[in-house]
Amino acid sequence: MTSVIKIFLVVVFFVFSGTILIAQNSFEEQFNLAKKLYDQENYFDAVTEFKRLLYFSDKGVYNFESNFLIGLSYKNGNKFSDALQYFTLSDLSSTTSDEAFESRLEIIKINILRRTTERAFVLLDSLQNTAKFSNRIDEINYWRGWAYIFSDDWDKASATFSKIQNENQLVVFCDSIKSDFYNPQLAKYLSILPGAGQFYTGEYVSGFISIGWNVLWGYLTINAFIEDRVLDGVLIGSLLWWRFYSGNIQNAEKFALEKNLEITNSALRYLQNHFNGKKP
Amino acid sequence: MRKIFVITFLIQLLAFPQSTSFDFHSPQNIKLFADHLFCESDYLRAIEEYALIDGQFVNDTIDFKIMLSYSNLGLFKLSNEVFKRINNGSIIYPDSYLLSMKNELVIKSTPLEYSILSSFNLSQQKSFNRLVSVSTLYGEKPVVTKNDFLSVFSAEDHDIISHLYDYKFDPPYKSPTLAGIFSAIIPGSGKMYVGEWGDGITGLLVTGLFAFLAYDNFKADHTARAWLFTGVGAFFYAGNIYGSIASAQIFNAKIDFEFSNGLKVFLENKNYFLPEYDFCN
Amino acid sequence: MQSKLFFFLFILLITTSVFCQIENLKWQKENISYEKPDQFRKRNYSFQSDNAGEFIKKSLVNAYWFFISDVDGDNCAFQPTCSSFFIDATEETNIFQGSLMFSDRLIRDSNPFKINDYPRDKSGYYYDPAYNYTLSQGRIKYLPPTFVADDE
Repeated sequence: MTSVIKIFLVVVFFVFSGTILIAQNSFEEQFNLAKKLYDQENYFDAVTEFKRLLYFSDKGVYNFESNFLIGLSYKNGNKFSDALQYFTLSDLSSTTSDEAFESRLEIIKINILRRTTERAFVLLDSLQNTAKFSNRIDEINYWRGWAYIFSDDWDKASATFSKIQNENQLVVFCDSIKSDFYNPQLAKYLSILPGAGQFYTGEYVSGFISIGWNVLWGYLTINAFIEDRVLDGVLIGSLLWWRFYSGNIQNAEKFALEKNLEITNSALRYLQNHFNGKKP
Repeated sequence: MRKIFVITFLIQLLAFPQSTSFDFHSPQNIKLFADHLFCESDYLRAIEEYALIDGQFVNDTIDFKIMLSYSNLGLFKLSNEVFKRINNGSIIYPDSYLLSMKNELVIKSTPLEYSILSSFNLSQQKSFNRLVSVSTLYGEKPVVTKNDFLSVFSAEDHDIISHLYDYKFDPPYKSPTLAGIFSAIIPGSGKMYVGEWGDGITGLLVTGLFAFLAYDNFKADHTARAWLFTGVGAFFYAGNIYGSIASAQIFNAKIDFEFSNGLKVFLENKNYFLPEYDFCN
Repeated sequence: MQSKLFFFLFILLITTSVFCQIENLKWQKENISYEKPDQFRKRNYSFQSDNAGEFIKKSLVNAYWFFISDVDGDNCAFQPTCSSFFIDATEETNIFQGSLMFSDRLIRDSNPFKINDYPRDKSGYYYDPAYNYTLSQGRIKYLPPTFVADDE
């Protein structure tokens, strides 16, 4: 072989090698572009580029990650039904049990966020009953605790977090919230004595006004009966005294529920903005 | 040495076709991806992708798909902007013309003033005639007789469209003045005339109760209490007359709402008489 | 040559304007709040305008709310409540017409069979705003009883 031919062959050899290296990188480049858009929080465009990759992908190397990141993009845009669709797809295209677990966990987290917590519990139970995830019981319980928080059951949340090692912070937090709550039933029963329910919930002004009205109408009604003005007595008793008496009971319950909502929301605000652990 | 070179060269030759450089942004690939997005009903993304296609590869079918995408997203003005670019000699022009009519109808809700195209086929002519006819329901007066109007539509639609025609051009309004007069004579009767039986009877009972209490107290010489009840009774009597007039107006607004909502729902179910396009199979 | 240039610029203009419009339509990142929505009725005790009549009227209504209405329970099936309706009605029109609207509203409130006549708001109360009763037909916004109103 002449030296020219040899040089020619060497050049072709290197060009081919180079082209193969570049060609196999086209899909990786597209993936990296999409991932960069995702990292920059440019979620709409990230979804477009991931969808482009998925459409042209033949070997499916990036299928799980693309579907997963599309799901996360939709989740960050508050588009939960689209997110659920893509997490289901990522579950179907997962190749390892870790990937399948992560996908199902994301589905559970979305159900927690949009407060369809019954569904979240069903999914958590089915995860727990799946043999290949049996070593991840702590993580499952962690998210079960969060599902209880979002369904306003701080009791069960605290109990669930206690089953996990090293999760003391959340146990203590849930217990403190639980102890702050008012009992609406108790408020109602206390109000059989007018004003007592309102005092229990801390609404003293409303309590005193309630006592005042009940005393006034009660006195007028009984006075009317004593003076044998039965019709008057019945009218005042039913139209006025009863209205203020039942109103006092209803009010006490309402105050308890309002205050509980405030406590819940401030707890949730704290968890969203100041808690450093994993969140839905 | 030579053998090693030859062997590696042949291996790479085999490997080469499987890893050809893939251009995601070639015009053909952009179009393929855009068509896929369109078929997945991801219309906004499809529009964005179609806009990336290089000028020389753009054709009227693509512009029509962009029109359809905008229309499906509810962006009717933008859809009609795209219509301006479509060549009036192209094969897709009649369909895009019909779509532009639909967009115009949704935007303006007034009778359409379009001329029929000579290039319409039979089915497109029907769509055109039906769209123009149904748009006359947005006008002030009927343009043709009711029978002529109904003849344009298929038999299965006659019931609904006839009902809509009647509601528009001969609405069963109630007169607010009459309602007021009725309630002035017999409290509550104005509301009953409008169809609000519960409110009418309540009005009658309340006014009647206070009138009775006033009369009773005047008879028993409790003058102060009697005047109080008279005042309250007069308050409710006047309020009931006012309320009867207002409820007649609300009833008329309900007729108007039932017409416009009913027409909208009917047109959406019929896809505005446009054919269903299938670009995906 | 010039017409080709204009044509090119026209296409460029349309394409760029399309891009700008599409950019505005794309959804963005949204912060998801963990908080539960508040379904309790809130009173607005503030005074809206400066004149003496309005001040007297609003003071009377505020006193009613504070001493009576907040204490006798949740008795009004409507949203806005009858007293708030009175405030809205007198603001939309004048004290006399507003009083007539209020009188009519009390009669309608006394009707125990109103279940199918009004749209609902998201807490389940009957949605019955004052602007439907001002006697100017153009202001009426009719909503069917199956509708669930989402404002305020």
